[in-house]
Amino acid sequence: MDLQKNLKFTKDHEWVDATGTTGIVGVTAYAIEQLGDIVHIDLPEAGKVYKTGESFGTIESTKTVSDLYMPVAGKITAVNAAVKKAPESLQTDAYKNGWLVKIEMSNVSEVAALLDAEGYESFIKE
Amino acid sequence: MTQEKSLKTPLYDAHVARKARMVPFGGWLMPVSYESVLAEHKTVRDACGIFDVSHMGEVRVLGSDAEKFLQSITINDLTKLPIGGGQYTAMLNERGGMIDDLIVYKLGVEEFFICMNAGNRAKDFGWIDSTCKKSNLKVTVTNESDVWAQIAVQGPNSLPVTGALFSATDQALLKALPYTNIMPVTLFGQAALVARTGYTGERGYEIYLPASLAESTWNALLELSGEHGVRPIGLGARDTLRLEAGYLLYGNDMNDDVSPLEAGIGWATKIDKGPFIGREALVLQKTRGLSRRMVMFKMVDDGIPRHGMAVIYDGKAAGEVTSGGVFPTVGGSGGMALVAASLKEGDEFFVDIRGQQKRAIIVKRPIYAAKTK
Repeated sequence: MDLQKNLKFTKDHEWVDATGTTGIVGVTAYAIEQLGDIVHIDLPEAGKVYKTGESFGTIESTKTVSDLYMPVAGKITAVNAAVKKAPESLQTDAYKNGWLVKIEMSNVSEVAALLDAEGYESFIKE
Repeated sequence: MTQEKSLKTPLYDAHVARKARMVPFGGWLMPVSYESVLAEHKTVRDACGIFDVSHMGEVRVLGSDAEKFLQSITINDLTKLPIGGGQYTAMLNERGGMIDDLIVYKLGVEEFFICMNAGNRAKDFGWIDSTCKKSNLKVTVTNESDVWAQIAVQGPNSLPVTGALFSATDQALLKALPYTNIMPVTLFGQAALVARTGYTGERGYEIYLPASLAESTWNALLELSGEHGVRPIGLGARDTLRLEAGYLLYGNDMNDDVSPLEAGIGWATKIDKGPFIGREALVLQKTRGLSRRMVMFKMVDDGIPRHGMAVIYDGKAAGEVTSGGVFPTVGGSGGMALVAASLKEGDEFFVDIRGQQKRAIIVKRPIYAAKTK
């Protein structure tokens, strides 16, 4: 498992890279692998505001559709248009170029409550 | 359905050994994919794929009244079949709804072989058996579903791949076998059947073989992979392949309440052949005009339609998606929908994808022109 050590994770398989009040959000490589061929991703427009755990979009493989959940509350400031256009790219890069949205976090302290790389790794091994 | 209760085909261990992702389907634990649905789809379109379809059911019908009996419970006209011929057909209830869609093969003047859907094995045989007993015809029906394994070999390279299992004589006969026909073969010294049929839109063969030979046959087919690019294919790609080819899936696109006319298989429905169960209901439907019919559509907006999603036309509910997904070869996404019969090719409607109305257009069915012949 090639997890970025500076990322934080949820049990819904989202990751967040937090710097100050800015967060970059994506889906873990593990989740992508479980889904199989990614064929569609539905992401929100910039400016939308979400609560923690709220669905901000969907990710769809050849057979199933799954919700994307906000790891922390915040306002969407940017959406990754490249991933929207070619969602299959997530299968080879779920972290670096595979980010989904950038957010302005409402409450930075929420980040500390998320799993660290080690915690997430042991969670998915359960 | 829990995994413990699901049945296993004779190839279950072979799938697990190849690290297939196993899922319950129609009461069976089946491989959904081995590597990737899209890669497997492409393998079948470009080279050759093999499918474990041992979960399908088989019934043998024997006797001097065999043809008469089958003619009375199916929609297509069996009297048109030569020995060795096969035809797509269906069994209806009295209301004209489809009990199942089937392929019936004529093995001899008084001998027929039926292939039915996995999830309908018990229902179909129960219906055939009870109808037969009520008929006083000279017919015996035998459920041979547990006797046969079935392997489908599909794709442009399917002829040399399938042929490699057989003697030079059988290979020559196989090469000449017309689409939908069936022939007896010798496989590892035992009697088997090969039909030139499939569910992918490609040239292909379906081998009915003794369950005890399933694993050795499966492995022998895969050993040809170097030359012909043979790969095992799961149910995921089986679904995207059949969807592009416009083939119906029982339980998704039709059920006991959908008639063959509504489902778009009027070409296999021979109303004038004589009496058969469900005929009166179809005649009435034809006289009154259909209220709904199956169409194929492609999404104009982005989004992937799925079974059960609502179709909206002119601001009103106008039917529902029966099968949906991506079209890996054609591109984009779409599916089949049972919609108001007034809608026609080129019309646009909306699909309600999780609360969002996404635009779709009715296209010619199938969207992928089959290369079966």
